Amino acid sequence: MVTLKIDEVQVQVPEGATLLQAAQKIGVWIPTLCHHDSLTPTGGCRLCVVEINRGGVSHVVSSCVYKAEEGLTVLTATEKIRGIRACIIELLLSEAPEAKVIQDLARDLGVKPVKRFAPRNELCIACGRCVRACSELVGMSAIGFANRGYEKLAVSPFYEKAEDCIGCGTCAEICPTGAIKLIDIEEGETAVAHDGTKVQGPARIIQNWKVNLKLKTCKECGETFAPENQLAYFSKEAGLSKDFYDICRHCRT
Amino acid sequence: MKGKPFTHLEKLEKSGQASLLPERIKISVGFASCGLAAGAQTVLDAFIKGIKKRKMDVQVQKAGCNGMCHQEPLVDVWIPGKVRLTYGKVTHDEVQAILAAIKLDTIPEGALLQTSLDPSADEPCCENVPDSKSHAFYCKQHRVALRNCGIIDPENIDEYVALGGYEGLATALSEKTSMQVINEVKKAGLRGRGGGGFSTGLKWKTCRKARGKQKYIICNADEGDPGAYMDRSILEGDPHAVIEGMLIAGYAVGASQGVIYVRDEYPLAIQRLEIAIEKARENGIIGDSVLKSDFSFDIRISRGAGAFVCGEETALIQSVEGECGEPQQRPPYPAVQGLYGCPTIINNVETLANVPALVKNGAKLFSAVGTETSKGTKVFSLVGKVNNVGLVEVPMGISLREIIFDIGGGIPGDKAFKAVQTGGPSGGCIPESLIDMPVDYDKLAETGSIMGSGGLIVMDEKTCMVDVALYFLRFLEDESCGKCTPCRVGVRRMREILEDICEGRGTIKDLALLEKLAGTIKDSALCGLGRTAPNPVLSTLKYFKDEYLAHIKDKKCPAGVCRELVKYSIDKKACIGCGACLKACPSAAVSGEKKKAHKINLKKCIKCGACSEICPVGAVLT
Amino acid sequence: MKLPRKNKVKQIVQKHKEEKGTLITLLQDIQSEFGYLPKEVLSHASEELEIPLSKIFAVASFYHSFSLDPQGKNTVSVCTGTACHVKNADNLTQSVSRELGIEAGEGTSADGEFTLKKVRCLGCCSMAPVVKINDDIHGGMTQVKTGNLLQQYRKDNK
Repeated sequence: MVTLKIDEVQVQVPEGATLLQAAQKIGVWIPTLCHHDSLTPTGGCRLCVVEINRGGVSHVVSSCVYKAEEGLTVLTATEKIRGIRACIIELLLSEAPEAKVIQDLARDLGVKPVKRFAPRNELCIACGRCVRACSELVGMSAIGFANRGYEKLAVSPFYEKAEDCIGCGTCAEICPTGAIKLIDIEEGETAVAHDGTKVQGPARIIQNWKVNLKLKTCKECGETFAPENQLAYFSKEAGLSKDFYDICRHCRT
Repeated sequence: MKGKPFTHLEKLEKSGQASLLPERIKISVGFASCGLAAGAQTVLDAFIKGIKKRKMDVQVQKAGCNGMCHQEPLVDVWIPGKVRLTYGKVTHDEVQAILAAIKLDTIPEGALLQTSLDPSADEPCCENVPDSKSHAFYCKQHRVALRNCGIIDPENIDEYVALGGYEGLATALSEKTSMQVINEVKKAGLRGRGGGGFSTGLKWKTCRKARGKQKYIICNADEGDPGAYMDRSILEGDPHAVIEGMLIAGYAVGASQGVIYVRDEYPLAIQRLEIAIEKARENGIIGDSVLKSDFSFDIRISRGAGAFVCGEETALIQSVEGECGEPQQRPPYPAVQGLYGCPTIINNVETLANVPALVKNGAKLFSAVGTETSKGTKVFSLVGKVNNVGLVEVPMGISLREIIFDIGGGIPGDKAFKAVQTGGPSGGCIPESLIDMPVDYDKLAETGSIMGSGGLIVMDEKTCMVDVALYFLRFLEDESCGKCTPCRVGVRRMREILEDICEGRGTIKDLALLEKLAGTIKDSALCGLGRTAPNPVLSTLKYFKDEYLAHIKDKKCPAGVCRELVKYSIDKKACIGCGACLKACPSAAVSGEKKKAHKINLKKCIKCGACSEICPVGAVLT
Repeated sequence: MKLPRKNKVKQIVQKHKEEKGTLITLLQDIQSEFGYLPKEVLSHASEELEIPLSKIFAVASFYHSFSLDPQGKNTVSVCTGTACHVKNADNLTQSVSRELGIEAGEGTSADGEFTLKKVRCLGCCSMAPVVKINDDIHGGMTQVKTGNLLQQYRKDNK
């Protein structure tokens, strides 16, 4: 166990725990964006930064990555930290002005958009949650980053159809800004794909990855319930029979 | 009695002496990238052809760059028993003149410099040719890291050994324990020459103490600062100095593997390194039993792929591992957890090039030069608006004024000095009022700049400091890895504001916004690239605020650089009517009769600057 | 997808397996062979070496040494290092862009003769401003000299 102080309050956490986990244990709020409990932290958005004191020198570190150390002093709401958080939100607001989560954070922190910054028409803030989820949770690595710097975005390889995408929708679920457009089309309905073409249901389209996957229809109740690709992947991984998913979960029970 | 490592080198030393100082006349041609760009290949070919034609018994070989880059192509003539003579800006005709003089047993005319390798044996040659003690470019230099550059054939390991090469390693292996080596380096006060300025000895000590079965030495040869080419010159001119430094480092910390990470834009450096590594391996200097000792070390090269950020230690490690070069949060520090999670030392080329001499001659000699907190020498690339552009190595503590005006020969034309930029994109601009300050890690930091890797870009009255700030921001925006918000978005926003200022759309409020953004980025960016990104802006705002105000309030660029704010015109009195500008203009905006003053039609002018560039009398004004 | 120079690709993939190369060394070998990174070759490598295509694309698009598009017969770079910048490299780049009809400052001319690429610092600052065409470095360049040089390369290619 490791004992440290967060905002003057002592807290004990297991070896390997991060400063964010330690803060959460004692109910100290630290804003996050790129962090997700199920994913390997990267410390990129820098919203979760805190001040620590090491050998008499103050450092600003991402609390989602920094591991707790015995006797460490952590300050989560100094003037410097609050200033940094506010400025980062201003920058994120200019990068993804329509993102609700950033608008909410701005409101909570009393931050207003900086008119001087030309806003971008983009929701992706390169947090990497979708990329990490597809790789670590789903195991498909169907999507990844492209480019570097301001042009860095989560994309499908070559900006073409992500061939390895099984349409599980984890990316859309985990994206904090709603940048991933996943649409489930019912039988008899249509929706517009990334290239403007009309897609007939039953299908799942994920516009960002140019994916259009047929949804499986239950042989019993006729409801569509998951992309065929996804079910085929699960069957293979779990060693199930080919017709296992012909019946949906509800009808099986 | 000397140990096995020393006796192992004896044969190479003998052969090297014979090659370095043969019994016949030798000609060496400066064959580094700058020499080649200036035409060294043509010169070398001319010598080979000329010697064959005249049936002369003369040895011809390649050398690295001796630092006098403004005099390339450079040629050295070695006459047995006499001092070495250096000739500059050698043309095909001059090659013939040199060979003709040698054939007649006379000293070829026009030498720039005469230097002796062996003061006791070499006879001075010419009365009017300065030696390195009196030559303006050399007399204030103190060459340690560059000791062999321009002298030896970098592809010949024997010549390296003949000048004391690998003796530092032999000393370490046969006379010192690894902790003794570390203490020697610590005592000497060697600080990282790549820009960080961190104590090399302390870094090695941390790595020595770290737990790990496998440890690594990485040589950071990803010299990305634009305008800086110190490392390139060392790699092209004396690659064994770096290899020896790595071997000593490996012995000191307990590493058995070395990686040299070289930027992709240095193909000649990579080639020279490959040859050097192969030769070292062939001669038992790299491999299972280094210099017949118990110490094993192998080296491989890892090529960069065009990313400045990979000069940052953790990003460099990512790149060696084949990943995108994204910096990682520290701690953990690479010395404890680096390449493949193992303790890793990352040292700059120049740092490593200093190590062999340090270990061979001892800490006392090393630290006899320099200031209290910055021991030893520093290699600088003195470039930009300066007469003697080149590579110089000076003792720490020399003033910038001495470097720029004494060694550098001052500003070309009749232009006034304005500033010198140090530290590359992480550094700042130092105005004239401060150039008497000693060059020293801490003193430079006090001005708001940094030592950096050693690029010294001299700027004159025709350089716009706001444009310089914009230049660095554009550079950093292009090179940002994009991982963290402050750098990815913050630097971009700063660049947009600077661009507006340079194009006449800036407002006074922009200055406060720039300072605020700069503060956040400095405090919260993930890595060194981001944290120092605001420095060029902050530094130019501090010392050249008047230029910013002129751009914002008057919509004028005092230096006549920012395209949107300048108007091209021809000085009627100065114009000689030669018509060069008329011919060069891509938009037919120039008109005028022969021998009469020409005129620019501003409606057609696209402000490309071609006229200004070609005018032989400087009659084009902005 | 048709694989260009199949045998060469197989050689590169085999070398990568034997030498336990990294993704970067693999891409450098492919670029060295083809002059750029053809999509078909990357897809093939992804399958053979079991490296996700998303990862290959991420690395290929991160590093500026790599090109995902075919290059022109000649590669032209105006050095944009600081020493060259203060000697009007910016104006020189603009003039080359105009000459080759390339708007964005980087790209391939319509006739496929030249690809204009940015290059940071070639380390030949004593010869600023510097222009690199293929492997040749030309120093002390002006707009007029560069224009003439490009014409020369065009003539030599014919």
